Amino acid sequence: MAKNLFRNCANECSSTWRLDEVQASTWKKEEARARASAANHVRFSEQEAEIITEEGRHRGCGGGGGGSDGRVGSKVTPRLKRLAGLLRRKKHGRGEGSPSRPPPSILKNQAVGARHTGQQQQQPILKDVCVYLNPKRLAGTPHLLPESGGLLEALLGVVHRGGRGTGPQRLTVHGLVPNSPASRSGHILIGDVILAVDDVEVTSENIERILSCIPGPTQVRLTLETTAPDGGGCPFVEDEGIRGRGSAAVSQLVRLLWGEDTVELQMAISHIPHVIMYLSLRLDTEPTHEEQEILYQYPVSEASAQLKGVRGIFLTLCDMLENVTGGQIISSSLLLKRQLVHVGYWKEGDNLLVIGLPADRVPLIYLQSVVEGVVRTLRVMYGSLDSAFCEEDNSPRLDHFFCLFFQQLIQPSRLIDSPTTPDVSGTLFLDGLPAVRWLTLPPEIKVEVDTVLSDFEAADFGDMSEDFYGMRRLYVTLGSCLFYKGYLIANHLPKEDLRDVCLYCQHYSLLPLAAEQRVGQLVIWREVFPQRRALHSPPLGYAEPLGRYFLLIVGLRHLMQCVLLEAGGCASAVEGAVGPDCVYVDQVKATLLQLEGLEVGMEERLNAPPAPCLSCADWFLPSGAGPQRSLSDSGSEGGHVDVGGAAMPPSPGSTPDSARKTPPATSASAFVRRDSLGSGGSDGSGGSGSLFRTPKLKHPNPFYLGSLRKSLTERETEEMNSTLKLTSGLENTLFHYVLMESVQGVFIAPTHRDMAQLSGTIHPQLIRNFHHCCLSIRAAFQQSLPPRERRDMSRQHGGLGPVKEHGVLFQCKPENWTDQKKPAPTMTYWVIGRMLLEPIPQEFYVCFHDSVPEVPVEMAFRLSFGLAL
Amino acid sequence: MFGAGQSALLSCCETDRGDRVVWRVFRDSVMLIAVCSGGDGTFTELQLCRLLENTWNCMVLILGQEELSNVRNVERLKRDLRSCYRLIDRLLDRGDESVMGDLTHCADCLLPPNTSLLQDALDAFTQASDSEFGCLLIRGRVAVATEKWWRLVSQEVMLLSLLVCCLSGTASCDYPVFLPVGSPTVAHRLLRFQLLQGVDVCTLCGPAPSLHHAETELVGRFWSPLLETLHGCLEQTLHSPVPSVALHPDILALLLINRESSQSLSIPGRPTALTHQDGPPVPSVLRRWELLRLFYTFAVTRYFTSGEVATAPAAAEPLQEDFSQGFCHVPLHCYLVTDECKCYGLQTPQHQLFLLASLAMPTFALRSTATQTLTSITAATGF
Repeated sequence: MAKNLFRNCANECSSTWRLDEVQASTWKKEEARARASAANHVRFSEQEAEIITEEGRHRGCGGGGGGSDGRVGSKVTPRLKRLAGLLRRKKHGRGEGSPSRPPPSILKNQAVGARHTGQQQQQPILKDVCVYLNPKRLAGTPHLLPESGGLLEALLGVVHRGGRGTGPQRLTVHGLVPNSPASRSGHILIGDVILAVDDVEVTSENIERILSCIPGPTQVRLTLETTAPDGGGCPFVEDEGIRGRGSAAVSQLVRLLWGEDTVELQMAISHIPHVIMYLSLRLDTEPTHEEQEILYQYPVSEASAQLKGVRGIFLTLCDMLENVTGGQIISSSLLLKRQLVHVGYWKEGDNLLVIGLPADRVPLIYLQSVVEGVVRTLRVMYGSLDSAFCEEDNSPRLDHFFCLFFQQLIQPSRLIDSPTTPDVSGTLFLDGLPAVRWLTLPPEIKVEVDTVLSDFEAADFGDMSEDFYGMRRLYVTLGSCLFYKGYLIANHLPKEDLRDVCLYCQHYSLLPLAAEQRVGQLVIWREVFPQRRALHSPPLGYAEPLGRYFLLIVGLRHLMQCVLLEAGGCASAVEGAVGPDCVYVDQVKATLLQLEGLEVGMEERLNAPPAPCLSCADWFLPSGAGPQRSLSDSGSEGGHVDVGGAAMPPSPGSTPDSARKTPPATSASAFVRRDSLGSGGSDGSGGSGSLFRTPKLKHPNPFYLGSLRKSLTERETEEMNSTLKLTSGLENTLFHYVLMESVQGVFIAPTHRDMAQLSGTIHPQLIRNFHHCCLSIRAAFQQSLPPRERRDMSRQHGGLGPVKEHGVLFQCKPENWTDQKKPAPTMTYWVIGRMLLEPIPQEFYVCFHDSVPEVPVEMAFRLSFGLAL
Repeated sequence: MFGAGQSALLSCCETDRGDRVVWRVFRDSVMLIAVCSGGDGTFTELQLCRLLENTWNCMVLILGQEELSNVRNVERLKRDLRSCYRLIDRLLDRGDESVMGDLTHCADCLLPPNTSLLQDALDAFTQASDSEFGCLLIRGRVAVATEKWWRLVSQEVMLLSLLVCCLSGTASCDYPVFLPVGSPTVAHRLLRFQLLQGVDVCTLCGPAPSLHHAETELVGRFWSPLLETLHGCLEQTLHSPVPSVALHPDILALLLINRESSQSLSIPGRPTALTHQDGPPVPSVLRRWELLRLFYTFAVTRYFTSGEVATAPAAAEPLQEDFSQGFCHVPLHCYLVTDECKCYGLQTPQHQLFLLASLAMPTFALRSTATQTLTSITAATGF
């Protein structure tokens, strides 16, 4: 498998490392230390991840020094200048090196050579690295093709992509195979050149021969030419210890991306029935062997073997239901060893994709969304399910893909190192939304970020343009999007493309990766098949060019940029498998470095108090002894009704001490409260349809006046900039919210940090409960929407009809209530989902305390206007 | 069924158009399969499961468990099963839309104004016919029943009511029945007498008394003095099973379940003609009951526990997923706003209320209306 890993590995541009290092040298020691401890270098090639721990990467001497975090912003300009200088130099170098070469390949393939000319301007440094090689490890591998990297890749773990020239070439390290001797040594860096093995000079011509002469396990000494100072010259003595920790701190997630612990992790869930199978529906009359109809299957465990054993059921059901009812089967449930398993189906052509998941992890109402997500991701990655599953080469990658998939669903706790219990429903719900988590930035930062991204996207027309080299450009940048710590902060991609990119990132857990720790470097390059073209027929008179599309993801520290490139069309067409083009990778990296100057602002935004203020559920629930919440029951009329035990029965036995009877307003004011009234914008709620048209109210309605007054006061206070408060009333009763904007494909929700600040015992429960309820609410919205193809059919459908709004009232009690004499205090709260179609399609999910009746439409308007989403 | 050899038990499946197939094996001998097509009359999984259970119970009720679990002659069983067809047809057909016992597994009730009079008469009649199980049904709903009758499992009460409805049309009959839970192997005699058109009285008894004796002597003795009262009841409950309660005009229909006694009341709202015309369109009466059924299913599968769980907690195998298990806090109320109507459901330890309101009612008023309605009904009737 290893030899296949880096077939299309990056023509990695060594100069980028130097950019990195130059920049690093201006950092303070602490900064560098933090990086050393936390950063991992991740590289993807096609699907395989390579993570190089920071261990081997030595920073240049901290000569520049002195830029404290607070001052980084002010240092942006000099650094950018330096950056620009480097870029210029690099380009000049390429320009000098290129004229003698034939132009068509200048950007894609010979940039490596061009880079060398640039490199040689610097003083090369030689270093010796000892690695332990064991040829016996390869005993099982059948034959090593030179195209796939040969022994260099298989034995040593160094990826080298030869150029087109036929003569001997310098052995530049273009990539490292994970977990190989080279990457483990930590001293072989990408961009280094291997000059000699045990003092024998090597080139691309003789390296295979020399390596094949190694008889048994032995240590060899490699002489490398490097430009980064290495070895004992490292100024950070204390780094030694840190580095040790650094490698230990490689998180489970990174290791999994690396493809390291898959077997062990898979073992841990082998007793839980789950399976993915791709079955052929074409039943040959005489099967040549037993399991011919299974085109792909994962995992191979005991529980999944049972599911495999009953595959006949799945095939029969698919066939039978189509005959009986004319519809396609989408799900079935079956009981396997007293465990309920839901099975989702997806039929494509003559083949059937079957995904079995335990019912306690994925509720049936959400199974279809999960299956659709998988199918779409696979289509984005491979074009179609058939091309994904029917090619033998793909199966190790698919194994990795589905390992990640099942881990995320079945034991997410193993992926995330946080101590809190993972919120499976939350993951299901948020990942299932056809949207990405958006972080609203202050306008000035947003403008800058957008400018930088636009500059990058427009670089097509700068000195990267066709005129500059007199050749067709390789790729057209269709757009890009930028993530900071897993939040989308800028997007220049069409919605469907953004969804594709995000599905890919979600399935590979790239977003949490950047949120958790600083990524040393992450480069992913793969061909993608954007579904926008498959989903929508092009408008009349215009057809998008039939090109190939490539996704380039570059991550640096907490920033991650995804770029969608088009080849063909107005750019030159490509053939065969192509690796990432270093010029484009460099450009993205330069953009990210430029954006890093804005990181302070982004971090400030993350640290800012939550924008619609949030309350913690625990504040409303007195622990032990606290105020009676008379407010919270005012929602239910009359008060004499015991609504499900929500109102507390008077406790005759206990003496009602006056301290406990503090009015709720004062008790609440002790907590974070802003007296600002909500921003304007509720004017828009007039368009919310029949909800408010209540002309003939026979019964006096206590809420009616209240809501009138509320909207009046809001109209009076028109400061948009004041802190947003979503709920009405004096107290802030908002616990949580999710607002999805369908047009842009983004959603906003309180950040992880906001949630972490509201620590407490009840609150995390409440969030989990909220997400679980949202699953149900969203399923209700989805079910009531007719499928796309049947939208024109008559409105006469059997179900409940289109659901616009759905809410559930919950009651919670503190855990381990010790006071036997009194009943535990209770707190009731609403979880409400609202689907808005006008003026813009939105889905709004909100969770607030029961004390004030809220109109979700108004809240949604307030939220979306206040944040100017 | 296929998969049985691999110890896999298939329970249901669904297609993209809403078609559903549900399987159930009963007593390792009979498998029932329900297939419904999507489109207009979509059934949810819960509804289909209830349908299968009810069908099996019908078969036991009429043929007895013995005959069904030890099948000696399939052809003969097939012939015998014909006697169940009428009852099963009734389940599929749902003659009266507002009778929801088949779905809720609760006994549909009626609260006539002068209950005590009827109760006394029934108790005396039952005693005279050498039995402890007696019940008076008005339009297929239980008006009064003896204490022992209420001790029957609610599904049996529901099925017996259904059977009596099926058998109506004759003045009296003597029908052997097995009780699916109470006595699945020993048959009892169900004596049924039609007192008025739409009013039936029935008892479950042993060998005595004979039908003739009961019809000629007992019925006349106990019930003829009450004919006027019965007439009154029949008329008063024509529009609503609870004549003493006036509903909010915007309420289209409601279903109230007493969770402890497993009794239910399904009360229609005002007829369409009486509601104001200028408001949003109001669904037809049939559609209201359909919506209420759907909403009940929706709420019970997702948030509330169904009435059945309270009575029989020992469900052998979880053939259906319990979504509400995933909640760490207790759902109390829920509501839905759709294009046609608004639905509100609430659950207290004692009751479950499912209410259908017209779109004219503002969403924030739903909760107060629902709680007020619940209080007024329980206060007025003690249900």
